[in-house]
Amino acid sequence: MLSKAIFKQTLKSNIKLWLIFTVIMTVLHVLLIVVFNPSTISDMSGLVKDTPLASLLGEATFLGMLSNTFYGIHGILLPIVFIIMTANSLIASQVDRGSMAYLLSTPTKRSTVVLTQATYLITSLLLMILIVTVAGFISIQTFQGDTQISLSNYFALNIGLFLLMFATSGISFFFSCVFNLTKNSLAWGAGLPMAFFLLKLMGDVDSSLEKLKYISMNSLFNTDAVLHGENYTIQYVALAVVGIILYMLSLRVFKQKDLPL
Amino acid sequence: MPIIEIEHLTKDYGHSRGIFDVSFSVEAGEVYGFLGPNGAGKTTTIRHIMGFSRPQRGRTLVHGLNSWERASDIQRELGYLPGEIALPESLTGTDFIKMMADLRGIKDMKHTKALINKFELDPSGSLKRMSLGMKRKLAIVTAFMHDPAILVLDEPTSGLDPIMQTFFIEFIKEEKKRGKTILISSHIFSEIDATCDKISIIKEGRLISSFVADDLRHNKSKTYEIEFITEEAFTRFGVELMSIQQIEVLTLTPHKLQTTLRINDADINSLISLLADYEVKFFSEIKFTLEDYFMKFYDRNSNDAGGAIPDVLHRN
Ligand SMILES: Nc1ncnc2c1ncn2[C@@H]1O[C@H](COP(=O)(O)OP(=O)(O)OP(=O)(O)O)[C@@H](O)[C@H]1O
Ligand SMILES: [Mg+2]
Repeated sequence: MLSKAIFKQTLKSNIKLWLIFTVIMTVLHVLLIVVFNPSTISDMSGLVKDTPLASLLGEATFLGMLSNTFYGIHGILLPIVFIIMTANSLIASQVDRGSMAYLLSTPTKRSTVVLTQATYLITSLLLMILIVTVAGFISIQTFQGDTQISLSNYFALNIGLFLLMFATSGISFFFSCVFNLTKNSLAWGAGLPMAFFLLKLMGDVDSSLEKLKYISMNSLFNTDAVLHGENYTIQYVALAVVGIILYMLSLRVFKQKDLPL
Repeated sequence: MPIIEIEHLTKDYGHSRGIFDVSFSVEAGEVYGFLGPNGAGKTTTIRHIMGFSRPQRGRTLVHGLNSWERASDIQRELGYLPGEIALPESLTGTDFIKMMADLRGIKDMKHTKALINKFELDPSGSLKRMSLGMKRKLAIVTAFMHDPAILVLDEPTSGLDPIMQTFFIEFIKEEKKRGKTILISSHIFSEIDATCDKISIIKEGRLISSFVADDLRHNKSKTYEIEFITEEAFTRFGVELMSIQQIEVLTLTPHKLQTTLRINDADINSLISLLADYEVKFFSEIKFTLEDYFMKFYDRNSNDAGGAIPDVLHRN
């Protein structure tokens, strides 16, 4: 069902991008963990008190700060950009350029191509967030030894981040399978995840725009619910289901469509 | 049993572009030429044979298997050379050959190595920096590496220098001798002429002519051009011609005192004895080439499907 030969080629052509984003993500995550010690946190909340940024910064606990920075902005945006670029290069750009013709002029099934490429995208995201998590965990142990931090909440945040990225990658991958032209694949595969990201961000910053949050898939990754011990299982399952359905649809669409090769 | 069958294949892209009710078949061991002007529908037809496109109407079969439903199965015995060479640029040539061998399950690289040597290909180095001809050769090697029984070649010699083109034509002839079934789309008459047993011509999405190449080559009637010395001779000849059934008059050009005629080889003596009475400046055969025949179809304004040689034309 998977092709080792295609996976090898995919790895070779995409690993650089993965490495760059993983390094940036990890460094940023570790930096934020180091910076958010109790004294900076109280300084910062004093600084932004009574400004609109206060609601963005949220509650002044370590995980609260991390949620509203890393898990709200950088940690989401960076993988989204990685997903957009990778998803397009895995299918649509190969159809657009025509190099897919070589894969399909061998006894390789279309489904094998899609499954192999999807496996790369999902595995690369899983590894990226796993590395970030392990580095984060070590940094917390090293630099935040004195702070009260719920590790189970920390891990729940990272699982949520992965599930959101899994669902997002489903969106970009789906459009990469639907369109024969890179420009269309990118317009939708980048447009929709970016729109979701911005809608959620606007809803978070400005309470008058709060309704916007509810049309964004990204709201299913609700960091407040995680931190306040509310139930977030349904949202996490929803993200997983959205991702699975999108990948299944991608397979179906690609198997049935006309390829201009 | 035909190896490649195309039955009433239709794909309408709108604005009267696409292919419409295309049917032909390629028998085992045959080299089949597929000719037509730019945008006529050659690549579209080939896409269907490869199983990349789903027919709107009709179907294509390879080895009796439906191209669309059994696309991956038919590739085992098929080599494909795309019209546009778009190789994955992040790889080196060697990586690419290795990947294609893996995807085809080739363990023994002897045949591949022989092809690399034959085409003087240097596969090391990134595909991004390879010259067009080098990329072409690489695509040729990967199309033939599994020694397939069937070959589908979309404009195989475009991008090759003249020496490589000739070399490739010789290579196709060798493959034909080894019993391969080959479909070639091309614009180059000489390469079609040199290799093909049968030829189909497509124009604006419709097959306008399919014929056996030898019928055309060994055509039994010939065309002659004659110029007379005097106007009197020209006019008198023009009148006398009317009474001779076997001679077909193609043109009469009074101001040059010239005429072109066509006559069957069997009747040539009647023309010669007729001419004996006239003062003739010259009398020469206009050599017929496949190219002359094909050019008629390439002409956008001409819809006359080669009325010149109706006896060898099997119209579809
Ligand atoms: N995917 C597509 N969508 C819309 N129109 C298409 C598509 N593919 C091909 N066409 C149109 O169908 C016609 C046939 O194109 P095709 O590529 O088959 O021509 P061709 O005979 O291979 O020409 P050339 O000699 O230039 O390679 C063209 O008018 C082309 O614009
Ligand atoms: Mg073409």
